[in-house]
Amino acid sequence: MLRMQKLASAIQDAAKKLLEEKKVDLVVGFSKGSLPLRSTPCFIRKPEDAAKLTWDCSCENNLANYLRKRQDRVAVVAKGCDVRSIVALINENQIDRDNLFIIGVPCQGMIDRAKVDAALEGKDLVAVEEKGDSLVLKANGITIEVGTGDLTHDTCKVCRYGNPVIYDMMIGDPVPDKPEDNFADVAAFEALSPAERRAALAAEFSKCIRCYACRNACPMCYCAECFVDCSTPAWLNKSTGTDDNIMFQAGRVFHSAGRCADCGACDRACPMGINLRGMTRKMVKEVKELFGYETGVNPDEKPALAEFKADDPQPFLVKE
Amino acid sequence: MEWEPKIVAFLCNWCSYAGADLAGVSRIQYPPNIRVIRIPCSGRINPLFIMSAIKNGADGVLTSG
Amino acid sequence: MTTKPDKVGAVMVLGAGIAGIQASLDLAESGYYVYLVEKQPAIGGTMPMLDKTFPTNDCSMCILSPKLVECGRHLNIEIMTSSQLVDLQGEPGKFKATIEQKARFVDPDKCTGCGSCAEECPVKVDDEFNQGLGKRKAIYKLYAQAYPNAYAIDKGKCLKIKKPKACGKCLEACQADAIDHSMEDKTIEIEVGSVILVPGFDAFQPEQLSYYGYGKFPNVLTSLEFERILSASGPLGGHLVRPSDHKEPKKVAWIQCVGSRNCKLDHGYCSSVCCMYAIKEAVIAKEHAPYALDTTIFFMDMRTYGKEFEKYYDKARLEQGVKFVRSRVYEVTETADGSGNLVIRYSNEDGTITNEEFDLVVLSIGLEPSRDMIDLAGKLGVELNKFNFAEPPSLTGVGTSRPGVYVAGAFSGPRDIPETVMQASAAAADSSVILAEARGTLVKKREYPAEKDVAGEIIRTGVFICHCGINIGSVVNVPSVVDYARTLPGVVFADEKMYACSQDTGVQIKEAIEKYNLNRVVVASCSPRTHEPMFQETLKEAGLNPNLFEMANIRDQCSWVHQKEPEKATEKAKDLVKMAVYKSALLEPLKGVSLGMNHDVLVIGGGVAGMNAALNAAAQGYKVSLVEKSGALGGIANRIRYGMKGEDVQAYLADLAAKINNNQLIKVYTGVEIAEVHGFVGNFVTKLSNGEEIQHGVSIIATGGDEYKPTEYLYGQNQKVKTLLELESDLADGKLAAAKNIVFIQCVGSREPERPYCSRICCTKSIKQALKLKETNPDANVFILYRDIRTYGFYEDMYTEARRKGVIFIRYSADSKPVVEASGDKVKVTVTDHVLGAPVSIDADVVGLAAAIVPSENSKLSQFFKVPLNQEGFFLEAHLKLRPVDFGTDGVFMCGLAHGPKNMEENISQAKAAVARACTVLAKEAIDVEGKCAIVNKKKCAGCGVCESVCPAKAVSVDPTEKVAVVNEALCKGCGACASSCRCGALNVKGCTNEQIMAMINAL
Repeated sequence: MLRMQKLASAIQDAAKKLLEEKKVDLVVGFSKGSLPLRSTPCFIRKPEDAAKLTWDCSCENNLANYLRKRQDRVAVVAKGCDVRSIVALINENQIDRDNLFIIGVPCQGMIDRAKVDAALEGKDLVAVEEKGDSLVLKANGITIEVGTGDLTHDTCKVCRYGNPVIYDMMIGDPVPDKPEDNFADVAAFEALSPAERRAALAAEFSKCIRCYACRNACPMCYCAECFVDCSTPAWLNKSTGTDDNIMFQAGRVFHSAGRCADCGACDRACPMGINLRGMTRKMVKEVKELFGYETGVNPDEKPALAEFKADDPQPFLVKE
Repeated sequence: MEWEPKIVAFLCNWCSYAGADLAGVSRIQYPPNIRVIRIPCSGRINPLFIMSAIKNGADGVLTSG
Repeated sequence: MTTKPDKVGAVMVLGAGIAGIQASLDLAESGYYVYLVEKQPAIGGTMPMLDKTFPTNDCSMCILSPKLVECGRHLNIEIMTSSQLVDLQGEPGKFKATIEQKARFVDPDKCTGCGSCAEECPVKVDDEFNQGLGKRKAIYKLYAQAYPNAYAIDKGKCLKIKKPKACGKCLEACQADAIDHSMEDKTIEIEVGSVILVPGFDAFQPEQLSYYGYGKFPNVLTSLEFERILSASGPLGGHLVRPSDHKEPKKVAWIQCVGSRNCKLDHGYCSSVCCMYAIKEAVIAKEHAPYALDTTIFFMDMRTYGKEFEKYYDKARLEQGVKFVRSRVYEVTETADGSGNLVIRYSNEDGTITNEEFDLVVLSIGLEPSRDMIDLAGKLGVELNKFNFAEPPSLTGVGTSRPGVYVAGAFSGPRDIPETVMQASAAAADSSVILAEARGTLVKKREYPAEKDVAGEIIRTGVFICHCGINIGSVVNVPSVVDYARTLPGVVFADEKMYACSQDTGVQIKEAIEKYNLNRVVVASCSPRTHEPMFQETLKEAGLNPNLFEMANIRDQCSWVHQKEPEKATEKAKDLVKMAVYKSALLEPLKGVSLGMNHDVLVIGGGVAGMNAALNAAAQGYKVSLVEKSGALGGIANRIRYGMKGEDVQAYLADLAAKINNNQLIKVYTGVEIAEVHGFVGNFVTKLSNGEEIQHGVSIIATGGDEYKPTEYLYGQNQKVKTLLELESDLADGKLAAAKNIVFIQCVGSREPERPYCSRICCTKSIKQALKLKETNPDANVFILYRDIRTYGFYEDMYTEARRKGVIFIRYSADSKPVVEASGDKVKVTVTDHVLGAPVSIDADVVGLAAAIVPSENSKLSQFFKVPLNQEGFFLEAHLKLRPVDFGTDGVFMCGLAHGPKNMEENISQAKAAVARACTVLAKEAIDVEGKCAIVNKKKCAGCGVCESVCPAKAVSVDPTEKVAVVNEALCKGCGACASSCRCGALNVKGCTNEQIMAMINAL
C-alpha cells in the first residue's frame, strides 16, 4: 500500500475508534473532493462515516479554523501548521485543550494546484497517481511525472514544522528536519527603498477587491467585528481605494503578529492572486528576529506581543 | 519652496509631552509642521492610529513615551 | 458630644526636595494637613539638577515632575517657598513653628511664568541652579519646570529694590500685574502636631582640596556641574563639551571620594552615592558623545551596594567600556601646552606612579550636612552626630533626639534617592502614629453644585483662545484663530482672552457656559499638564462634568517654539484648535466610581520588618493580621546578636514581640502560610493554610531573607569554617576567646554570576565582629579578605577604627580567590596580596564567611498578589527610584529583606515606609475611581486574553465563565495598553477613546 493510503486508513481507524468509544463527538478531517487533488474538510459524527476520511497531498486547508469556541469534544486530523495554529488558539482561550483530541499527521508539504496547472500547461487534471517521490499527473492527452517537491506550496517548502508539535496520537513517521528558514523571499522586498516599497504595496494591493476571503480563511481572524467593519471609529473606508486596501492588509498583518503560523491559507484563498504572504512573511521574520518567537511551536511560551521582557530589543528607539 | 513633511506625534502625557512643554519653556525653536496628540501613555497607541495618520496624509509619525 | 482633639492634625515638612515631597504627599493622602516649607523659591531640591538617575537611567526631571505637580496642586499641602523655620516651641502633638518668609516680589497667584520679565531684566547673575555654568536674571524662575511656576526677584541683585528709580523694566513687561517691589518679609506662625526635617544636603566644596585644581583649572568640574552639562535643559543643551572652550572632550576622568572618606577634613564618612553617580555619568556621557569617548573612574573601593547596582557596575565595566582604576590620586595639574588638558598623577595598587592626561576631570564630590541646619538644629534641640548629620537614634529609622521631630533623607546621613524616599515615607508613618487621633481634622474638601445632565444634547462648544499676554498673541494671530474656531462644527461661541487662567476669565467662562448653554469647553492656551485641572475646576463650579473639557496647547508647543514663523504658527494653532474641537464633540461626562473597602492590614512575615510594620499600622489605629510561617516571630534576626551600632538585638526582639502580643489590634498567626489570595485593593480575601480566611484592605509583604549556605571554602566540611551568623553566636557566647588567628572572607556567594548582587551588610558586619574580637582579645590577629570594602555612610568610621586597631585588610580579586585548606587542627588560608603581589598564608583558628543574603521562596506570593520578582528572587518594586515599597498592583506593599539586602535600621525604616504608603489607601473611606478607565464591549470581546497579559496594573482579566475581559476599575490606571492591543476593538478608554483620537487624526 502506498504511504498516503496507509495514513488515510490509519486515520479512519483512529476516528472510528474515538467515535465508537464516545471519546469525541466529532472528528474534523479531510474527505476526497469531486476532482483530483481537491481534498476538502469534512466532519464525521458517526463511526460508520469514518471511512470517508482521507489523507493525501492536497489536504491543504488549515483545520484549526473549525475548532474555535466549540462546546463539543472534537478530534482533529492536524498537520504541522494546523497544530501551530491550534497552539496559538489554545493560548488565546479559543480552544479548550481538554476537549480537543489531536490526531497528528507529519506533513511533507501540500500540492500547489497552480503549479500543477502550470505543469500541465493549463489542461484540466483528470487523475493523479502517487509514485515514490513524484506524482504522475494525467490530463487530456498527456501524462507527465513531476517531482512532488517541485509542486508543493512555497509555504511548505520553507516549513520546518511538518511534524506536529503537540498531539494526542501521531499517525505516520516523522518527516526529516529542514534547515533554518532564511527568508530569502523577504529579502527582495527589504532591499527596496521606502518609496519603492510603497509603490510595490500599492501595485499589489490595488488588485484587492475587499472580499475578505483572506480573513475568513485565516484561523486566527476570529473577532466578532473586524476593524474594517467597525464604525466607531471608522478606521478606514469600506470601498476599495488603494490606500484603504493597504491599510486593511497592513492592519490584518499587524493583527497576526506573533500569531501567524505561515500556513498560507490567506494566500491560497485570494481570488485575485495577491501575494499576501509577502507581507505576512515579513511580519513573521520581524517577530522571529526581534523576539526570537515563532508562533505555536512551544505551547509553554507566551506569544511575543503578549509579554514584555526587559531585554526586548528596541531598535526603533531614537538614541540621543 | 522646499518640501516639508507633515508629522503627527503621539506623546505620552507624563514624559514626552512634558518634554515638548519643556522645549517651549526653554524656547527651543523647531519647525512648525508637527501636530501633537496627547495620550495617557505610549501604551495607548493603537497601531491603527499610526496607519490612519499615514493614510490621512502624514508623512511621518512620531510615537514617544 | 465630640471634643476637639488636643493634637493638631497638621505636619510641618521642612525642605521640599524629593524627601519633603514624598512625605508631604503621603501625609496629605493619609488625612493630615501639610505645611511644606522650602528655602528656595520653588520646590524640587537637588533632583531637578540631575540629568539621569541610576540604576534605571530614567530622566530625573521626567520621573520627578508628576510628583511636583501632584504636590503643587494638592488641596492639603500648603507650600511655603522662600521660607525658613526659625523657632519651634511646644511638644509632640502640638508645636508652634515660627517661619520667616522672604519677600518674593512676585505674586505667584498672578504670575503665569511666561518669562517676559526676565527677558527685559538687565541684570545677569550666575545661575546657582546650573552650578554657575550659566547666567540667569535678577528676576528668575529657579528652573524651567519649577513649581510654583512663578518668578521671584533676587533682592540683592535687583536694581529697583536697591534704588527705586533705577529700573522697573520687569514691571513694564509683566502684563499680569504680578510684580510688586514693595513686598516685605513676613513672619508666620503655624500650629503643627509633628515636624519632619528633610533639608537635604550641601555639596562638598572642592576648592579646599587644592591638589585637585578645582577653581584653578577650568576643566576640572564637580559632578553636579557635569550633571548640568549632560542635562538637555542645562546651560549647554545637553551637548557634551567643556564649558571653558566648548571643545568636545575625548577623555574624561572621574575622581572618587572628593571630600568623603577624608579624616583630615573631619569627613570620615562615605557619601554613599558617588560611586553610582560617577558610573552613571560615565555611561550617560558615552551615550551623549557621537564618538568613542574614553571614560575612566579613579576609585579606592567600588561601592555599588544598592539594589541592581552591582549589575549596573558590571555592565558599565564589561559592556559599556568604562574603565575603572583602583588607585590613589595625588594631584591634578594642567598641561603646559595651552590645551587646557589635565594630568592626573596617581599611584597604582602596586605602588607604581602613573601620569595620565585627560581633557576633562570630574570630581565626585561628597555630601555634607545642610549648612543652614547646623545652627538651626541646635535651636530646635535636635542633636547632630560628629559629622553634623542628624543621625537617627538606633533602630528608629527616622527619629531624632527631640520627640515629635523626625528626619529623613540626606540630613540623616548620606543616602541615595530610593532610600531617601523610603525614609521620607517612614517619617510620615511615625508622624501619623503620634497624630492618629487627629487624623482628618484639618483636611479640606471642596464642594460643587450639582452636575447638569447633558446627555442627548446637541453639541454646544465654547472656545476660549488665550493671548497669554504677549506670549501667544505676539506670534499667533489670535483673532484669526478665534474667527476660525467659530467656523468649526458644534462651536456656538468663541472668544479671545488676555489671560485665560486669570480669575476674572474664570468668571467669564462660567458666565458663557450659562449664557450660551455650553456643554463642551475648549481652551487654547498653555499646557494641559499644568492648567487642565484648573479649568476643569471652573467647569465643575459651573455645574458641568469636568471631562467635557479639552485644551489646545498653543503656547508651549506652538508660539514659544515657532517665534520666527508667525504665519505657520497661526496655521498650527488653528489645527490644534480644530483637533481639540473635534475631540471635544465626542467627550462624554465621566462618573467616578466609589467602591467600599476594608480597612484592615495583612502583614506577611513576622521578622523585624513585619513586626515593625504591624506595630506602626496598629498604632495608627488599623487592625492587623500578622502571619508568620515559622513557629515564632523574629525571622532571621533571631540569629543576630549585635546590631551594627552594638545594639542588643535579642532584647530588641523580645521587646517588639511583647508589644505585638499586648496590642489588641494585632492578631498573630504563627506556623501558618498564605494558601490563596483573592480580590484587590480594599477588598482582599486571603485564605491561610489553617483554613482561616482574612479580609483585608491592604497587604504588606515582609517575607524576609536568609543566609546563603556556602558550598565553597570548606564550609560544611570543616568545623572551623563558619558563616558570619554562626560566628556571631560563638563570639557572643565567648567561644572564640582563645582564637589567635581569625580570617573573614567577604563576598561568599555575592557578586557572583549566579548571584550578581552585593549583600550590602557583610563588610560592615565583618568589621563589627572583627572589632568585637579585638575588644575581647587585643592580641588576636584578625584578617579581612575583601574585594571592595563597602562601609557606606557612617560605617566608614568603623572601617577606619578597625584599621587603627590593627585589623588587617587584604584585597583579593574575583579571579584569584582565597584558598582554604584543612591543616591539622587549623585551617590554612592562602590569598594573593595585591600590594605585595605575593601569596600570603594564614593558619586560621576560625574562618568567617560573609555569606550572601538570599531571598525567601517568594514565587507563590508573587503569583497570588500578581507582583513581580527580580532575577534573584527578591520582590521588584513599582519603580526602583521613586516607588521603593510599592508595586504596580495597588494595595500591595513590601519591606525588609524581601525587597533586597539591607541592615536592620534600614529594614525598620522601610517597614514604616510600607505602612505610610498603605495608609494613603487606608485613610480613604472608599476606593474612589476617577472614571478614566478601560471599558469592555462584551459583544466584541473574544476573550483572547491579550489585554490581561499586557496590563501593567493587573486590572483586566478574562472572566472564566463569561469568557470575556472584565476591567477592575479600582485598579485600572487608564493607560490604554489593553485598548491598543485589542484587535477586536472590544476595549476602549473612557476619556481617551479610539473615536476621540481618530477624530483628532481625521481633523488633520
